[in-house]
Amino acid sequence: MREGTKKTLFVFTILVFAFFYIPILVLMVFSFNDSKIGTVWTGFTFDWYIRLFSNSQIIDAAFNSLFIAIVTTVISTVLGTLAALTLHRYGFPGKRTVGFVFYIPVVIPDIVLAVALLVLYSFLNVKLGLATVIPGHVVFATSFVILVLLARLAGLDKALEEAAKDLGANEWHTFWKVTFPLIYPGILAGALLAFTISLDEFVVAFFTTGPGSNTLPVLVYSMVRRGVSPEINALSTILILAVVLVIVIVGWRMNRMNKQQGGI
Amino acid sequence: MAEGMVRLENISKKFANTYAVKELNLDIKTGEFLTLLGPSGCGKTSTLRVIAGFEKPTSGNIWIDGKKVDKIEPYNREVNTVFQSYSLFPHMTVADNVAFGLKMKKVSKQDIKNKVKEALNLVQLENFAARKPKNLSGGQQQRIAIARAIVNNPKVLLLDEPLGALDLKLRKQMQLELKQLQQELGMTFIYVTHDQEEALTMSDRIVIMNQGKIEQTGLPDEIYEKPATKFVADFIGETNLFEGKVMQTNDTYATMECAGQYIIIPNNQNFLENESVYMSIRPEKIKVSAHANDKVKQLKVIMKDEIYIGSVTKIIAAFPDGQEVVAHGSRDIFKRCSQGSQLYLSWEPADSIVFKMKEKLEV
Repeated sequence: MREGTKKTLFVFTILVFAFFYIPILVLMVFSFNDSKIGTVWTGFTFDWYIRLFSNSQIIDAAFNSLFIAIVTTVISTVLGTLAALTLHRYGFPGKRTVGFVFYIPVVIPDIVLAVALLVLYSFLNVKLGLATVIPGHVVFATSFVILVLLARLAGLDKALEEAAKDLGANEWHTFWKVTFPLIYPGILAGALLAFTISLDEFVVAFFTTGPGSNTLPVLVYSMVRRGVSPEINALSTILILAVVLVIVIVGWRMNRMNKQQGGI
Repeated sequence: MAEGMVRLENISKKFANTYAVKELNLDIKTGEFLTLLGPSGCGKTSTLRVIAGFEKPTSGNIWIDGKKVDKIEPYNREVNTVFQSYSLFPHMTVADNVAFGLKMKKVSKQDIKNKVKEALNLVQLENFAARKPKNLSGGQQQRIAIARAIVNNPKVLLLDEPLGALDLKLRKQMQLELKQLQQELGMTFIYVTHDQEEALTMSDRIVIMNQGKIEQTGLPDEIYEKPATKFVADFIGETNLFEGKVMQTNDTYATMECAGQYIIIPNNQNFLENESVYMSIRPEKIKVSAHANDKVKQLKVIMKDEIYIGSVTKIIAAFPDGQEVVAHGSRDIFKRCSQGSQLYLSWEPADSIVFKMKEKLEV
């Protein structure tokens, strides 16, 4: 590459990263700002973090979000894995249509699903609460789990399952001794995606949650309407660090696993 | 029930609208090295997969060691397979791969340890037990795949083009090793390949398949020397095929007319005059001469090319109508000849094989 091109590309890359991350960096820096007005730096403090952890509203909302995310992850990972295995393994009439229907939630606007669920709940006379958020999240997350897992399954040699059966493993043993260990990284990636999608999902949660049971994004929204408090900055910083930490750990583990078995 | 190890009775396997295997009957003897040989798409792999249980036959019955296995799942059949792509489990060590079948059979831990060691010894990879398959070469992976199958002491070992991915030298070496292994173990091997040389080298008996059907079953030399059909004659080794009409017949010989030349053929099939036939003659059975000889029946040809292939020189000649014929000879015979020279070909009529046109099968 020419020297000039190299320099231009380098500057361009820096600009793109700056565009991505400067807002987040500003937010993180101001979470330590000793001032109630979030725009001027007046000094360093941990006050907002201390306030955050003594704010029962925020803590409750965080636990609500975690609860929904965990339940969503479990349900959508199991459902998505089963669906992906079926779509991968068997031919049946209407298979293409069924596969397509699973993808619709990925492209459909969140608001449509949110309103649809709300209408359904009122039609069925379901009282809105925390649990009513879960079905909407499951719908989104399951589609993503299927997407991720089908990609993994496409790289799985079918002859490996035949080899297991040839060596005397029945369907159950073939799945747990051969298929599952080989698609496990895909299941893990799908579960992780489901967890993060549910954790930061706002629109469906906003529409389908009941009074008094806020998720974190819904609470943040209602707080921000009354002006951005540095507490929100502190909360966001914690969320970002938590997510980055999880991704680093999972990425490192998967990398190690792939190195061991050389991928599939 | 026959006393053979595997019996296929009227097996058909239909995929969508085409038959991969059609009304196939085959008895495989205990301890035999049997090869299914044929071009790709001839149904040989489908036949193997039917025996393994991966494919359910559309119709017909299968027996393994006197037991009808039609409704038995692959994991309950006493056969093991060596796959074309090896199919070693990438997440397990070599030792765990080899132990897999024994673990499934709930063999005791100590027995598993001993048997795995024994099997790895047999394929000379005892020092690789702790490695992962991806850290082995293709040839080593192939050996592990064989060890993983035979450690279960199956009644029949099925091998699906197991040497296809190896380079020529390694393939030759593995052919001999496999044959030795089979003789040592006395195990029944069913081997699938499209490589005729491999089949001729290793097999006790060869089954030639074409379009889902058996063309011929026989010993390697029978297949080569006495092909039963035009397809077999053409598929196995190099041959010259002539198409023509029977002119005259007597008790022992017949005359066949082909492109204006008269060829004497053995009359062992009660030929009728004017009947259309194919005649096959191997290149090495043809005698080439630069001079006419009144004492033998010769065919006049024009030399077109010679190809030196080491042990022999191949000569390519043409009849007046342009049909080519290939013959083998030693180098010095051709020394005085060059392109365009007149050559005289002759052979023993008994070395030629004639097929009636009605048993013609598409090649």
